[in-house]
Amino acid sequence: MLLWVLLGLMVLLSIGCCIFKDLLYVAVSLATISGILALVLFLFGANIAGVFELSVCAGLITVLFIATVSLTKDSDQKVETRLPVYFVPLVVLIFVGIDYFVIQWVAHSVPPSVVPRPSGTFQRVFWELRSADILGQIGLIGAGVFGILSLFRVTSKEKKHE
Amino acid sequence: MNKEILLLLSSGILLVMTGVYMLVLYRNLLRLIIGVEVVAKGVTLVFLSAGVYRQDIGFIQSLLVTFIIVETVLAAIMLALAVRAQKIYRSLDIRNLSKLRG
Repeated sequence: MLLWVLLGLMVLLSIGCCIFKDLLYVAVSLATISGILALVLFLFGANIAGVFELSVCAGLITVLFIATVSLTKDSDQKVETRLPVYFVPLVVLIFVGIDYFVIQWVAHSVPPSVVPRPSGTFQRVFWELRSADILGQIGLIGAGVFGILSLFRVTSKEKKHE
Repeated sequence: MNKEILLLLSSGILLVMTGVYMLVLYRNLLRLIIGVEVVAKGVTLVFLSAGVYRQDIGFIQSLLVTFIIVETVLAAIMLALAVRAQKIYRSLDIRNLSKLRG
């Protein structure tokens, strides 16, 4: 029952992200989705992923997003879409229909259970089985830092202009 | 199949579809970034359902941690791009960004 409520809230908030006019409400909705997702991860025993989701997605990304909304506030606050907002419930109904058929197909075509072959604890998987991936993650973070630095680089032309 | 797994999968697919709807139909860059984030939440739920199905939460957790790092880096770069675009074009409308060059 709790899982139904949590997942239902997530879906409702994601629909809210489509409807809300104010970007701050959208940012808060996204943070709430992340918080609920962290709770779901905790419910299924994925504690470390839950902590990451809560601290990084619900915390850091929300702060970054609200900062960006504040920095860019003077313009496009209006919801501009190719389809009017009142079409959203109809689109959601279509999505629910597609979802129903996909789930029916999955329920009938995937075997009900598999023989569990656990890879071990998170620590073993992360530091031993996927140790090469850690290098990739470090590279990814480096790429992110480099990307942000290059985006905020002040060129000599801009300096002269200021 | 376990009802919980189907519920996770179903919500994940719905979130992905809602995010794609935002990506396709909205013109504000910040709303597109939110769309990417909503898709990422849906994909996280689908990953979790796979982990519960295989009864291998340890492996899925490590994949999720990697995915969260990717998601964060992506969001940070896209938000920086949005700030930069706003500074140059005074607008976040993607139709005005077609001239954006490095």
